[in-house]
Amino acid sequence: MEKKHKKPLISVRDLYKIYKVGESEVRALDGVSFDIFKGEFVAIVGASGSGKSTLLNMLAGLEPPTKGEIDIAGKRIDRLSESGLVAFRRSNVGFIFQSYNLLNTMDAEENVAMPLMFRGVPKSLRLKKAEELLKLVGVADQARHMPNQMSGGQQQRVGIARALVSDPKIIFADEPTGNLDSKTSMDVLRLLQRLVKEEHQTLVMVTHDNDLASYADKRIRISDGKIIDMDLSERARTIEGIEA
Amino acid sequence: MKLSDLLNLSINNLKRRKLRTFLTVLGVIIGTASIVVMLSLGIGQSEAQKEMIESYGSLTTINVYSPSMYGSQEAGTEPLYLTDDSIEEFKRIEHVTGASPILSFSAIAKQGAYEAYLNLQGVGPEYMENIELSEGHLPKPTDQELSIVYGNQMIYNFYNSKTGEGFWSGETEPDVDLMGRSVFIIFDQNAYYSQGGTDADGNVIAAPKKYIIPTAGITDGGPTGYSNYSYGAYCDIDLLKAKLKSIFKKEQIPGQPANSKGKPLSYFVYDSAEVYVDDMDHVAEVQDALSRMGFQASSNMEWLEQSQDSMRMQQAVLGGIGAVSLFVAAIGIANTMMMSIYERTKEIGVMKVLGCDMGNIRDMFLMESGFIGLAGGVLGIILSLTISKVINVLYLNSQAAMYGAAGNISRIPLWLLLLALIFAVLVGMLAGLMPALRAMRLSPLNAIRNE
Repeated sequence: MEKKHKKPLISVRDLYKIYKVGESEVRALDGVSFDIFKGEFVAIVGASGSGKSTLLNMLAGLEPPTKGEIDIAGKRIDRLSESGLVAFRRSNVGFIFQSYNLLNTMDAEENVAMPLMFRGVPKSLRLKKAEELLKLVGVADQARHMPNQMSGGQQQRVGIARALVSDPKIIFADEPTGNLDSKTSMDVLRLLQRLVKEEHQTLVMVTHDNDLASYADKRIRISDGKIIDMDLSERARTIEGIEA
Repeated sequence: MKLSDLLNLSINNLKRRKLRTFLTVLGVIIGTASIVVMLSLGIGQSEAQKEMIESYGSLTTINVYSPSMYGSQEAGTEPLYLTDDSIEEFKRIEHVTGASPILSFSAIAKQGAYEAYLNLQGVGPEYMENIELSEGHLPKPTDQELSIVYGNQMIYNFYNSKTGEGFWSGETEPDVDLMGRSVFIIFDQNAYYSQGGTDADGNVIAAPKKYIIPTAGITDGGPTGYSNYSYGAYCDIDLLKAKLKSIFKKEQIPGQPANSKGKPLSYFVYDSAEVYVDDMDHVAEVQDALSRMGFQASSNMEWLEQSQDSMRMQQAVLGGIGAVSLFVAAIGIANTMMMSIYERTKEIGVMKVLGCDMGNIRDMFLMESGFIGLAGGVLGIILSLTISKVINVLYLNSQAAMYGAAGNISRIPLWLLLLALIFAVLVGMLAGLMPALRAMRLSPLNAIRNE
């Protein structure tokens, strides 16, 4: 295998996360290194307790690593302060939660527009953008509904629209189908797949389910804090410029 | 994040928990109202006192007395008399706009069978100008003839010299008309009381001469009103001096001191003088200067300052009592905000994950507690205005009949309202500061945890 010199969007080198539990150490991440390129749909797969969620939290800058480097879009986020991380997420990151986490006081459109509100975008402008995205994810008819008036699948679509609204460089998804039935899960995954292809987005998804992971272009398998396997689809090989 | 969006979020969060917000606001309402009402009572009291003292005479006037006339002179020293020279000296003190001597002279006033003891005060035009009349006119310094202004209650001092009955013993109004009929003044009291007897040389003492002195006017107030001038009798000082000189010639004028050889002095010695100061702030300074010159000086200002000092103390205590309830309200705000943050831990986490600035989260919570303070402050002000009104009406009904309407006992000046409002908002934000900082520091990981 020969690699062409192409700059990855995310570059992780020797990442460790060590928790102290009483006297003993728990290595949630034990020296992890990998690259993610622009336009890829990456799945981080592992059983519960494997360290996959810890890895995602660190990529999204929600918790600091014990040691190692995380470079996203040319920025060393392991060196950023907490407010620096917030600002970094505001302009670069979209996030999809397992339990959707829509704000109950706002309707679907306002929820989607929220990240733009944090950026100081005027209300009329951000609601227009939110409307477009609701259409893109196929729940335009739900725009005026409050979260408790929608089904789980509809809520997650609103959540996906919210992650996309600020045109982020990268989207993180934490078990995005964890609370959905299998049929809705398939729909949501196909939606994500389509968005990555059509909108040229980069998506990093954490899941414990191998079937769901099969929708991704690149699968990083984690066990006991270590990468045990990494396999790439044809599409990912093309993106990364790897020749068979 | 735009300010309008922040405000919107805060208000929506408060609306979400209406009952809890209302109860917390209620605490602030009571706290604000208790401070405002307590302070309004203090302010009312001190203002009423100031008005009362002002009604006794101007606050910029200093009364000066000669220590030699009232016996506080140290033995063996040269007597310090109030004379025209000392009046000129007073006028040269900084901030003094004028000085006016007062010459008191005891005489007897007679009309028909009625007579009265008269404490005639010869005063300067500056003093005279302050007297308000109900009828007649004030004597002018350019007048040729002595005339007297009587106090509006002066007639009650007259008694029937034949029966000894007066107003105070008989409760009958003396048949005296000071304006309409002639009043006779007897200046030589000694001769009057010893007439018919003999002097040291065995000569029979003749009845002293009676003089008709025209009445210039009666002071304002009618038959019942009381003022500083109600029982006095006032005339121009220069005309009084001329009159006394013409009556007593070379004799010793009663009430005037003699020199060391027992001979009458060649000049008049005054009992007291009034010194007028340009501003209330300079009264104490001028009073000091007068005291250093050896005179006794007193002013209403001095009295006012002493009473205002004790009033301030009282106000601080009243305000402190009110402040305790606002402090309790502040604890209520802090408690409400803490609960709100615990409930919204996940929501705050989501906002942080989605890139909401830490400062914005803090500001959002500060605004919420500030709004609680603002709402409590506004409603508290309305409540305190109502309470103040009720207190005043009740007070007026119970006290007016007894003392005459003394004005409102609870007074709320505009500055107090503004101050209360600002204070309520500040207390709200201060109480919310700790919870807001806590919210700001919450970990975004709270958004990920699934319960």
